Amino acid sequence: MNALEIRNLTKTYTGFRLDHLNLTLPSGCIMGLIGENGAGKSTTIKLILDMIHKDEGSIQIMGKDNTKNIQLLKEDIGVVLDDVGIPECLTAKQVGKIMQYTFQRWDSKLYNSYLQKLSLPTEKPFKEFSRGMKMKLGIAVALSHHPKLLILDEATSGLDPVVRDEVVEMFSEFTRDENHSVLISSHIVSDLEKLCDYIAFLHKGKLLLCEEKDRLLEQYGLVQCSKEQLLKLAPSAVKGKKISPYGVQALVLRKYIPANMVISPISIEDLFIFMVKESV
Amino acid sequence: MKGLLLKDFYMAAKYCKAVLLLVIVFLAASFLGEENIFFAVYPSMIAGIIPMTILSYEERDKWIQYSAALPYTKAQVVSSKYLLGLLFWAAAFLVSMAATAFRMIGNNSFSMDTFLVMGTALLILGLIGPTFLLPFVFKFGAEKGRIAFYVMIGFVCAVITLLTGLGFQAILPFSKPVLIGICGIGILLYILSWQLSILFFKKREL
Repeated sequence: MNALEIRNLTKTYTGFRLDHLNLTLPSGCIMGLIGENGAGKSTTIKLILDMIHKDEGSIQIMGKDNTKNIQLLKEDIGVVLDDVGIPECLTAKQVGKIMQYTFQRWDSKLYNSYLQKLSLPTEKPFKEFSRGMKMKLGIAVALSHHPKLLILDEATSGLDPVVRDEVVEMFSEFTRDENHSVLISSHIVSDLEKLCDYIAFLHKGKLLLCEEKDRLLEQYGLVQCSKEQLLKLAPSAVKGKKISPYGVQALVLRKYIPANMVISPISIEDLFIFMVKESV
Repeated sequence: MKGLLLKDFYMAAKYCKAVLLLVIVFLAASFLGEENIFFAVYPSMIAGIIPMTILSYEERDKWIQYSAALPYTKAQVVSSKYLLGLLFWAAAFLVSMAATAFRMIGNNSFSMDTFLVMGTALLILGLIGPTFLLPFVFKFGAEKGRIAFYVMIGFVCAVITLLTGLGFQAILPFSKPVLIGICGIGILLYILSWQLSILFFKKREL
């Protein structure tokens, strides 16, 4: 069963349209939703959680329509939003008590162990937490009711590298169970590159691609050449190019490139930038 | 919904301390002072608007969005605020009525008719705030809801001034059936407001 299936999802605002989005997240996988600010990542997540109303399309979470019995579905979903959303006056201890009455499978012991592991104070109000601590508390809450699907909206942005690494490790640990899946959005591509099995590129409300990360890295590469050499390549081989006085850097599909040309590996971040800014 | 109510109590304990202090001061004034309906009614009025205060903090902290990611329906989110309002109002109502009864007995001026009129006034004026404001807040958010609050206060003051000018007190029939009818209408409007807020909040995009 797929953890998430999105078909023809459309949502229009003045000046923005999420346009017929199709995504499938298989169970046991981590999908990174990459896009610049305003690309439609948060809109997609809000639509999945039924926080906003779609104009068109369908969303299935673990085989069930997300608009029907969403209350029961959310027992299986752990969510961390960009702003976390915990009231500033509450302490971690109070949050634990509230969630105990919120989730049927709330595990107080597990929650307390996360608080300890993440060095989070139990009696300090949320407003006195740093950005990293706030995010860590959001993650502890999201993981303490034994969810099957984690939905994370910019959960790693604004964190220092040490905390980011800790958080990324927690998500990796979560997906060691093959029934657990993660959808994580970010504009910090390097985080997702470490973590994800699947990568989806969103740009101005449109899905540029959705593919297994390893396949993307196998399929695409970078070629450094002259303008003349570039012209000799098949047009279908070149997916993006950056021309400078020193030559051309081109994003290419490896399979169409002659064997005598040197192709360097490309990072997901560079792939995204080429596709968005330098596409042909 | 227990979780939502618990969170609201934590927030009320933190943010509404000043309100609780005011309630105590006004109750003491109504108990110790001369017959002044304002001192007795005010605690119920401000207790009734505690849910709006909490909602504005929730909007600031983005709890409204977060609650949509938790296993609660939008109807439950709305209902928790109406229940909270009722609980705080009921507490203020009971204490105010007890204070009024003690004061009347202490002054040897206890009258069941006056006591019932006082009860009706406490019920209507305590529920009027949440009844009219919560649907605005759930539809437009706390900021615009606050504007609606000031408009409503202005409207209520204008109506009271107008009715007083027309000699309204002299013609008002304070018979028991009328008082029960007024209370019934107050409660009915509260329930209608509750349902309207659920409808508005279900349509609102978070």
